Amino acid sequence: MEPATNDCKAAAMLSRRHILARAGAGFGVVGLSGLLHSEGLLGPEARAASGLGQRGLAPLAPQQTHFPARARQVIWIFVNGGPSQVDTWDFKPGLVRRDGMSIKTFDPKFDNTTGFFRNSVGNLMASPFPFHARGECGKRISSIFPHLGNHVDRMAFVHSVHTESNNHSPALFMMNCGMPRMGLPCVGSWVTYGLGSSSQDLPAFVVMSDPKGRGLPKGHAANWSAGFLPGVFQGTHLRPQGAPINNLKRPRLMTDLSQRNQLNLLRQLNTLGNGPLSVSGELASRIQSFELAYRMQSAAPEALAIETETRQVQGLYGIGDKRCDHFARQCLVARRLVERGVRFVQLYSGGNENQRSWDGHSDIRGNHSQFAGETDRPVAGLLADLAQRGLLDETLVVWCGEFGRLPVAQTGKKPGRDHNPHCLTAWMAGGGIRGGTTYGASDDVGFRAAENRVHINDLHATILHLLGLDHELLTYSYNGRDFRLTDVAGRVIRDVIA
Amino acid sequence: MNRHLGRLLVLLAGLAVAGKLAADEPAATSFPRTRISEDERDHWSFRRLNPGRVPAAGKSRWGRNPIDRFILARLDENGLVPSGRASRRILVRRAHFSLLGVPPSPEVIGQHETDRSPSAWSDLVDRMLASPHYGQRWARHWMDVARFAESGGFEHDDDRPTAFHYRDFLVAAFNRDMPFDRFVAWQLAGDELAPKDPLALMATGFLGAGVFPSQLTEAEFESSRYDELDDMVTTTGVAFLGLSIGCARCHDHKYDPIPSQDYYRLASAFTTTIRGEVTTRAPWHSTDQKVLVTSEGLPKLKHHADSRGFPHFYQQTFFLARGDVHQKHGAADTGYLQVLVRPGTSTSHWQVKPPADRKRTSFRRASLARWMTDTERGAGHLLARVIVNRLWHHHFGRGLVASPNDFGTQGEHPTHPKLLDWLAQRLLDCGWRLKPIHRLLLTSSVYCQNGRADGNRQDRDLENRFWSHRPRRRLEAEAIRDALLSVSGRLDSGMYGPGSLDENSRRRSVFLKVKRSRLVPTMMLFDWPEHLVSIGRRANTTTAAQALAFMNSPVGRGYAGSLAERLPADPGRAIVRAWQLALGRTPRADEQAAVMVFLERQEHIYRRAGRSDPIRTARVDLCQALLGMNEFIYVD
Repeated sequence: MEPATNDCKAAAMLSRRHILARAGAGFGVVGLSGLLHSEGLLGPEARAASGLGQRGLAPLAPQQTHFPARARQVIWIFVNGGPSQVDTWDFKPGLVRRDGMSIKTFDPKFDNTTGFFRNSVGNLMASPFPFHARGECGKRISSIFPHLGNHVDRMAFVHSVHTESNNHSPALFMMNCGMPRMGLPCVGSWVTYGLGSSSQDLPAFVVMSDPKGRGLPKGHAANWSAGFLPGVFQGTHLRPQGAPINNLKRPRLMTDLSQRNQLNLLRQLNTLGNGPLSVSGELASRIQSFELAYRMQSAAPEALAIETETRQVQGLYGIGDKRCDHFARQCLVARRLVERGVRFVQLYSGGNENQRSWDGHSDIRGNHSQFAGETDRPVAGLLADLAQRGLLDETLVVWCGEFGRLPVAQTGKKPGRDHNPHCLTAWMAGGGIRGGTTYGASDDVGFRAAENRVHINDLHATILHLLGLDHELLTYSYNGRDFRLTDVAGRVIRDVIA
Repeated sequence: MNRHLGRLLVLLAGLAVAGKLAADEPAATSFPRTRISEDERDHWSFRRLNPGRVPAAGKSRWGRNPIDRFILARLDENGLVPSGRASRRILVRRAHFSLLGVPPSPEVIGQHETDRSPSAWSDLVDRMLASPHYGQRWARHWMDVARFAESGGFEHDDDRPTAFHYRDFLVAAFNRDMPFDRFVAWQLAGDELAPKDPLALMATGFLGAGVFPSQLTEAEFESSRYDELDDMVTTTGVAFLGLSIGCARCHDHKYDPIPSQDYYRLASAFTTTIRGEVTTRAPWHSTDQKVLVTSEGLPKLKHHADSRGFPHFYQQTFFLARGDVHQKHGAADTGYLQVLVRPGTSTSHWQVKPPADRKRTSFRRASLARWMTDTERGAGHLLARVIVNRLWHHHFGRGLVASPNDFGTQGEHPTHPKLLDWLAQRLLDCGWRLKPIHRLLLTSSVYCQNGRADGNRQDRDLENRFWSHRPRRRLEAEAIRDALLSVSGRLDSGMYGPGSLDENSRRRSVFLKVKRSRLVPTMMLFDWPEHLVSIGRRANTTTAAQALAFMNSPVGRGYAGSLAERLPADPGRAIVRAWQLALGRTPRADEQAAVMVFLERQEHIYRRAGRSDPIRTARVDLCQALLGMNEFIYVD
């Protein structure tokens, strides 16, 4: 396709979306509950129909925020496996100075149970990567992120995050659901429960995992689980291979026309003998859901059709670059999804564990070079592309993994680093974030979060805050208790907010 | 010397304090002890059953059994009148779904419509209660409550290939109308109470059905064991008593009179309880089978952390401040919720002494079961209330207590407290058998009402709190799928055995395998739970993704194809038969006309598109539309 045509299309879509957004109602309202109201179809039965009350009819309809939002949607780059803070964003001259010394010289109380492997604890090890000052803020970051380095002025770094488990899946649950246990709703589910979606043609919460056959993150689908929230709020996992979404293709023998005709019959049968007004809320809602589904058949493939993007845009993400093509495609899909009103997109970099993800137990240099190489250009492209479309202002981009890594070497043929729950670095950019800032600090060698410590609950509280949600008010009543994403804690990190 | 004196003083002080407490309180501990006040005991669900009298019959001719008189009294008070009786056709369909979870065949409907016997309805209810489908339907409800699944969750989500026997126990227990007190006791301690009975062993799968990490580091050994105990305590509390005991893990319960010390004393009943495997033979098996049980003293199952020295359990359960394993405050000995212990009763009242020849288990769970089912001095009265409410919930769409998993102070109040108590008492009078309660509910006039909510009822009973009419209800995921299988003639009613993850399986949905990382997608679309925590009331959502499944899923299209094959060749007769099979009624004239036009148009489209079998394809399209109708998944 011609680039010009595409730009026009994008512009047209943007303006439609913005008009709807400004009008205070995303497409979903117009599409569903709005229609039901306008036809007088919302009856009292609906109220008793579900734990969500009236919302059971249109559970994804946009909801009021608690206060004005700074961001409307989230793209979370989940750096799976536990990226090493001291080899990425947290420059530690102290670690360089103490390179080769025992960690006991720094922390006499260090015991070997912090990491996963007890018998391969080496000495303090400086990062194998040089660090350079980047951007106007002069942030010193690792050389493994040449492209992301161009965006440090958009990022707020938090160097003092700490978590509660040194083991992948509990730590993944902690980062996603706020507790190191299975069974609770994840951030994406809470956000879609809190805000609904601006698109009823697409899933509200989308998850993409490693397409290179390296597996799912540990804990699998529980990482995008809705827990005790209604299932409609769980993440839709786009299958990395084959058809990405279930049931999008009409049956083989049907044509578009015959399916349209069939849906017309269905609508007729659903209303015959009743008269439209006696079809009560829930039933009317279901009639409408078939119309939405019909539209979704074309809307979803359209949203995923990155081949319609210009060569220039594709290039920006690194599509065609063997090293990062797979992640570039996912980043571009992420942009197309949020552009179309999807509320929450989570992308996992890397698969299961060890060398299949950022889990650099052996050969930290090789492991992190590889995974940084897979993601640096795509994520930088995503930030640049969001910015040039004016979407970055309303899109919060989060980069973090489930825990950090130890400043000591994990001994072996090539030195690696073991798990470290005491310290990790996260950065955020976009919607409401004060770019070029650094908050909190790790200790001299990057072992523990030291200054302005940030708990995962605090990180979650901040994300919700930027979306216009008060983490103490966003509750769901289940088995006798009002649950929150932040349990009984959480403090918004004001310093990173613009 | 000084030190000795000090210790003596502490000891004496401890004795002095202990003297003021009930004799059975745990040995000296620094853990805070909270006493329950009389006011706190007075919350409605903790009180003893007080059914009072069945209200007088009054003038109304409506109402066939005592349930109706309770309902009518409240309707009267609120200036409401009940709705009339639904048609026989509607009632057969309603009862088939709520009792059996599958639609009635056209023949069953026809039979009932022409049955002129005055006991036609109760006879039909009895026949349904004798159907093996009943157990399959109600076992599935209990699986929600029991957060039952066949894998361990967390990182590897390892299969528990012998766990399905618990599900089979449920099916058999419901079908045999096992007294509910035994049903409960066996899930807690079947291995201790009836070690020779295979069903009792299978029942113990309940406690061990929760998630557990497959990967552990030394730092997590102890805390994850406390997590596991928490899963047992929490699920036991919610499933049987409708109480969120788990809230008391880190502090005294914020709303209900459940002190943290009660939590740990209860947890201590499970101290040495772990998953294990035994070999036994269920009555329907011809060979011995390995069965996953939850018991004590059995060989430990393999765990990834065994090589690191993971102990699986510890010899004692400690009181933990803030739930933190690093803040231990003395060992907890087994005890029960104070608020559900009749004042003056000692814990030892329920103690089951292990027989001399059975030293493998501690019999703490057997004692717990005794307290749980004791209606005089223990928790039995609440247990009875909670289960009759679950029955009401599933038959009527909402419980008399609208929060079936929360009978605490934050839960909903019963709309009809006397009726709830009367039903609970009736359950006890029937020897804890559930089938008589089902029969009572189904033969009541309130169950048999029609669905018309006229202006008056809408105004005064907007949410149908007084049960003035019968709202339409959507079927749950399993009933939808089972109805599709049944109507398309594909249903395989084979019972028991390992489940399947394959959506193409023809067995009832209760036999779908529940693997936590691979929950069956179509089930999830229709609000299947995640099977991680106890669920008493499912969500009910309407989404476009559900519609897509009806429109495009190959499995769904397959059902339509099979239904089409069951129809006669003549188009007019085919339509009638399709309606009878799918909706249990004949099509109206306007429907028939619309369908004739549709078939013609559809055939035309396919002919023009050069499709090979336009007539058949059009018929499959019709059947698919029929299965997509609201009437198919909403029951009047």
